Amino acid sequence: MNAPTCAHHWEMINILFGFVAFEKCYHCRGLRTFFSLEQTPFLGEKYREGDHFWSRVENAQSFRFDLCCCNCGRVERFDELMGLLHCTGCLPECEVDVLRRRYEAEGKWIIVAFGFLPDANTPARTIADEKLAILSDYFNQRRRPGRAPIAVVPFTMIPDISLCRGDFLHDVGMLSQEPPGERQPLL
Amino acid sequence: MTTQDLIDRIGLKPLSRFAHRDVDGVFISDMVSDVMAHAKPGNLWLTLQTHKSIVPAANLVDVAAIVVTSGKDVPQETVDLASKYDIALLVSELTTYELVGLLHALGLRPR
Repeated sequence: MNAPTCAHHWEMINILFGFVAFEKCYHCRGLRTFFSLEQTPFLGEKYREGDHFWSRVENAQSFRFDLCCCNCGRVERFDELMGLLHCTGCLPECEVDVLRRRYEAEGKWIIVAFGFLPDANTPARTIADEKLAILSDYFNQRRRPGRAPIAVVPFTMIPDISLCRGDFLHDVGMLSQEPPGERQPLL
Repeated sequence: MTTQDLIDRIGLKPLSRFAHRDVDGVFISDMVSDVMAHAKPGNLWLTLQTHKSIVPAANLVDVAAIVVTSGKDVPQETVDLASKYDIALLVSELTTYELVGLLHALGLRPR
């Protein structure tokens, strides 16, 4: 007899606030991102690492978390999740935008889950489809009945992230009370 | 307490098109990361932020409404996005502190 499967009900745990650091190499124009717990991250900090000349181009206040099922205690870690991005429809041929328009016609919203970019020569860390489904479940379990559901999609659907002008759901420019301008491309 | 009640009793000004809903608790923050981590569905979110990214953040958490305080000007693209998402986007000329006093007097508490 098969053991009953759990109808997972997720809650956010291990919440850790910090910064997502964006660094650019001015030698190869590569971009990398990582999570930092620095108290006061510096913009413009430059250093050499092998053939790379890295410079910190952006610090975004963000947070990390894991999800835990309240029913069975299963924990899903999301170390590879850099952040969530709201598609603004900037690239009509982008798979994310195509899906966004289709889903909106069906009454559903999408949000893009971004993985970290380890360095200029290493592909970005992808997030498993199962984890994206769990993240979607987490958000949808909290919504009132009748609210349009949310689907979390992978950033690998974006053909060229250097051209993407989607809005990351993180905090930049927190010292200013003026709304930030349009996000500049990272490359 | 519904969003309609708050508009009528406190004078919050609606900017977006939305369906009225029940309000359950108040959350105050100017950081979308803080909202995504700690706000609860049905919360009234008070903030000074007006960038359009507050709308998808509010939608992810399913807050009852966003209230921009201190008479901040809200860009039209933020209003349009809130209408699209059926998110109540309200504004108040009051400071956050003053508004919280009124909300507390009405019986709203953090949740």
